[in-house]
Amino acid sequence: MKFWVVRLVSLAVAFGFAFGADAWIAGSMPSAYRLAVLAGLFVTLAVSLNLINGITGQFSIGHAAFYMVGAYTTGFVSNQFYAQQPLGQPMWLIAMALLGAAASAVAGLVVGLPSLRLRGDYLAIVTLGFGEILRIVTQNISQIGGSYGMNVKPFGGPVQTLWVVLLLAFLCVSICRNLLKTAHGLPFVAVRDDEVASSAMGVRVSSVKVTAFVIGSAFAGAAGAMLAHAETFISPDMFRMDVSFIILTMVVLGGTGSITGSVVAAVVLFGIPEYLRTLQDPITKLPLAVPGQALLGSLVAVGLTVWGLREVSRRVHGNVQNRAVAYGGTLLGGAVVAWLFSVVFGLIPQIAALKFDVNMLRMVIFALTLIVLMLLRPQGIFGHHEFSWRWLGGLLGRRPREATA
Amino acid sequence: MSQTVLALQDATIQFGGLVAVNKVTFDLNKGDLFGLIGPNGAGKTTCFNLITGVYKPTHGSIKFHGQEIGGLPPAKIATRGICRTFQNIRLFSSLSALENVVVGAFLRHRTPLWTALACLPPALRETKALREESMRLLEVMDLADEAHTRSSDLPYGKQRRLEIARAMATRPELILLDEPAAGMNPLEKEDLQSTVKKIRDNFDMTVLLIEHDMRFVMGLCERIVVLDHGEEIAHGPPDAIRNDPKVIEAYLGEAHS
Ligand SMILES: Nc1ncnc2c1ncn2[C@@H]1O[C@H](COP(=O)(O)OP(=O)(O)OP(=O)(O)O)[C@@H](O)[C@H]1O
Ligand SMILES: [Mg+2]
Repeated sequence: MKFWVVRLVSLAVAFGFAFGADAWIAGSMPSAYRLAVLAGLFVTLAVSLNLINGITGQFSIGHAAFYMVGAYTTGFVSNQFYAQQPLGQPMWLIAMALLGAAASAVAGLVVGLPSLRLRGDYLAIVTLGFGEILRIVTQNISQIGGSYGMNVKPFGGPVQTLWVVLLLAFLCVSICRNLLKTAHGLPFVAVRDDEVASSAMGVRVSSVKVTAFVIGSAFAGAAGAMLAHAETFISPDMFRMDVSFIILTMVVLGGTGSITGSVVAAVVLFGIPEYLRTLQDPITKLPLAVPGQALLGSLVAVGLTVWGLREVSRRVHGNVQNRAVAYGGTLLGGAVVAWLFSVVFGLIPQIAALKFDVNMLRMVIFALTLIVLMLLRPQGIFGHHEFSWRWLGGLLGRRPREATA
Repeated sequence: MSQTVLALQDATIQFGGLVAVNKVTFDLNKGDLFGLIGPNGAGKTTCFNLITGVYKPTHGSIKFHGQEIGGLPPAKIATRGICRTFQNIRLFSSLSALENVVVGAFLRHRTPLWTALACLPPALRETKALREESMRLLEVMDLADEAHTRSSDLPYGKQRRLEIARAMATRPELILLDEPAAGMNPLEKEDLQSTVKKIRDNFDMTVLLIEHDMRFVMGLCERIVVLDHGEEIAHGPPDAIRNDPKVIEAYLGEAHS
């Protein structure tokens, strides 16, 4: 009884949140609507790839292919049938999400069945190849726009997709969490840890792998369906290999296997470049530019700070206070170094004359953030853990291993 | 009148030019405590790999309750009721001790995957039941205190016992233990001896075990097969094995080489 109450309340909260956020963002900051949709889609993509790569331990590096299958299938169907369709916009969007999921699940089965039965990294090669083949083939089919892309125009007015996107992300996260919460999730993790031992315990290894792969692909397909209807335009270029790699990076950065890690990493990695794009000079209202000495100074400082933080994490143990002081001190030191060096570099006229557009530096900063994070926390932000306050406390109060042994 | 559980008949496997197991023939009766010994590289682990489906025999047959199982996939053999431990410990390192055992117990799950994905009560109830059952097995193996420790953080001896608990969780009829006492101190070994007896008596299992420690095997097993270079060189009760000149020679040969 209590179970159903909790369940219904959480569902109501999810729906309330999705509709509320949709209406609020559409009303008060329409310019952010598209970004919110894309962020939600990346959360779904990262969490679903995490099911394949993180939880089940397979190495799929072509997630964008399934995103694409969902987008093109539903875009095509929408263009054909919406005119005769009596379903209203909300129902139609949900139907398209389901169709996208089904189409990508089938694609996942076709790709996964043969390659997951083999050991080793065949899956990586096959998924990568599948993505590229699909993209190139699409470029050459003029019925779906070829390399120019295809308009998806099912509705006369604006398309409200954010609520579906948020519900989709919620569903994806819940399904992964439920899996890990019940005994049914253990074989997936067992397959990741040791295939030979799993099969000796009666786990049907290839069926577990294919299941994870198909579920993950299906979510990517549903995300693709929403992309097509939110952007109302899709082209093969939107599903290039680098999209796959960004999703993969989100999973690795969040900590392979950690659902909350994937969510956070997806939002952060999607957010950083978008945020940098919006930065403006407060006076001129032009895109923000940094002088050469500040850029060089901060580069030096970032390098030194990363080195410092690593040393601190290796040397300083003990209680929360000591560690906080050590880390805080290093960061402060980094800021001082950045300032010092920017003053020094400012003395060199050639450097002082340079100006860099932050907008142009976006991808550089993005890459730098990744490198720094991977250097400091190679296991990902969350490691194998899920976020919980207790975990956070344990992390901050971590004691040296020698003391416990 | 005893019932034959496992019957190997001329079981043979060849890796390239090497015949790792050559025409090995023996029967296990229900409730046996059976030892498989031999010098290093004799083919003992390979025998286990044949029985559990890791390898397919090149010749000969392996019958479980009269049905051929040679070459079936490992998961199917586990479902039929044969489970094993590994000489080079293969626990699920990111899972806790309890979760490792639940993976074994999960063999008998009934609720379909979608009920778990939807987090419906049947799946939750089953999860709870499997965890409780696994907890009892941890108690049997004296590991209850470590239930929530990551298996990779356990000391060696406990990892070995956890392997046994995990295999038992599948409720096999026949359990294969590959060097369960390796790396244990004499006290732990004594403990393990009584535990293995207890498993056989209380859980109604047939035990086939590989072990290098002669005192351990001789004190525990009722019948023993000796392999050397893949061939069966002796077969019988411990006393006969101890005095068999061929066995002595095989082990002396090893000591001299
Ligand atoms: N997959 C394989 N490919 C090739 N040779 C193998 C394979 N597996 C085992 N062998 C060989 O078969 C022989 C028997 O190995 P096995 O592991 O069964 O020995 P063992 O009796 O268990 O020895 P130990 O007491 O050292 O565990 C060895 O010479 C080994 O190198
Ligand atoms: Mg061996």
